[in-house]
Amino acid sequence: MAWNWESFVFALVAFGILYWLLSKYAFGPLMATMEERRKLIAEQMNSADANRAQAEQMLAEQKQVIQDARKEAYQMIEQAKQTSSKQAEEIVDKAKSEADRVKEEAIREIDSEKNKAVAALRGQVSAMSVMIASKIIEKQVDEKSQEELVNHYLNEVGGQK
Amino acid sequence: MHEFPVLHFNNGIDIDISTFFAITVTCLVVFILARLSVRNLSVDKPSRMQNFMEWVLEFVHNTVASTMPLSKAKTYVSLGMTLIMFIFVANLLGLPFGIVTDHTEEFSLFGQSVLSDARIHELHDQGKHASIAWWKSPTADLSVTSALAIMVFVMTNTLGLTRNTKHYLKHYIEPFWFFLPLNIIKELSKPLTLALRLFANIFAGEVLISTILMLGVVGVPLLAIWQGFSIFVGAIQAFLFTILTMVYISQASVHEEH
Repeated sequence: MAWNWESFVFALVAFGILYWLLSKYAFGPLMATMEERRKLIAEQMNSADANRAQAEQMLAEQKQVIQDARKEAYQMIEQAKQTSSKQAEEIVDKAKSEADRVKEEAIREIDSEKNKAVAALRGQVSAMSVMIASKIIEKQVDEKSQEELVNHYLNEVGGQK
Repeated sequence: MHEFPVLHFNNGIDIDISTFFAITVTCLVVFILARLSVRNLSVDKPSRMQNFMEWVLEFVHNTVASTMPLSKAKTYVSLGMTLIMFIFVANLLGLPFGIVTDHTEEFSLFGQSVLSDARIHELHDQGKHASIAWWKSPTADLSVTSALAIMVFVMTNTLGLTRNTKHYLKHYIEPFWFFLPLNIIKELSKPLTLALRLFANIFAGEVLISTILMLGVVGVPLLAIWQGFSIFVGAIQAFLFTILTMVYISQASVHEEH
């Protein structure tokens, strides 16, 4: 087996061509892909970081909003309570005053009815007593004794009543 | 031992057909393999072949310059990838079968003599058949391995001289000036060992295969074992050649800060 310079040169040339072909058509694209993947991963990690920061911020915001809502709801409940108690008082007051008014009216009416009745009675009694007196006693009575008599009868009627 | 089919041209050029053919086949196989593996390149869903190629690439990248980003180390990584694939395929090429033709009279190809009458008679006088082995590993030829080794040698020294001149020249006289001859011998032994190691391993493997073949049927289990081992040896040698190349390159071109 001899060293053959033609084979030597051919091996060199063939290897050179193979190297050129491979780096152009195989390893070049492969390395480009790997580089691209490296970039993609870096990018994704960055965006993941950004997303996390954003999520945290949003969480804080949400917490704040919930806190506010809770406060507001509490305030509303308080307000509603106050309003309702005020209203209840108002209603009770109104009812009381109405009742007082009705009662007073009733008392007034009773009084006026009573007075009317008393006046009517008095008129009737005086007329009747005059009739009775004129019929039964049938004597002339002066004005003064007449009135004395009427009052006497009236007192008797009031006392009986 | 078989004859090698060497075309003797009149103008003094001898072409070893088996070596030329084997180199061409190896280059084709490597190129087709590489193209297949990068056929459907994908950033987020790499195929199995692409994964494997990326694994090899990362491996080579780590051996040459893991601190260098991929874009800068591209040339070296490509070289390492080409070396490891070429040598591995070349080592395995001679394993599965052989093509041998027997000849009793002069054999010529393209009008050129491949096996002369005189050589056939000479062999017959020695009591041997005249036969030609057409198929072998290209790396079982010293011409091929020395081509690879000298390419590496020239490249590393050029890199050292141009990229790292001061430290490259200085390392010849380290630690003392009278180490210069030793350092020169060390540099010269690098391509020599690279070429001879690869050649000897693969050539010995093929010689052993043809020897086992002489045993006939008895040798079949032995042949199976040896072929399996030869695959291992082929992978190891490809790995070694590439690793050493990368180490030489990084030694020559990368200056270490002390």
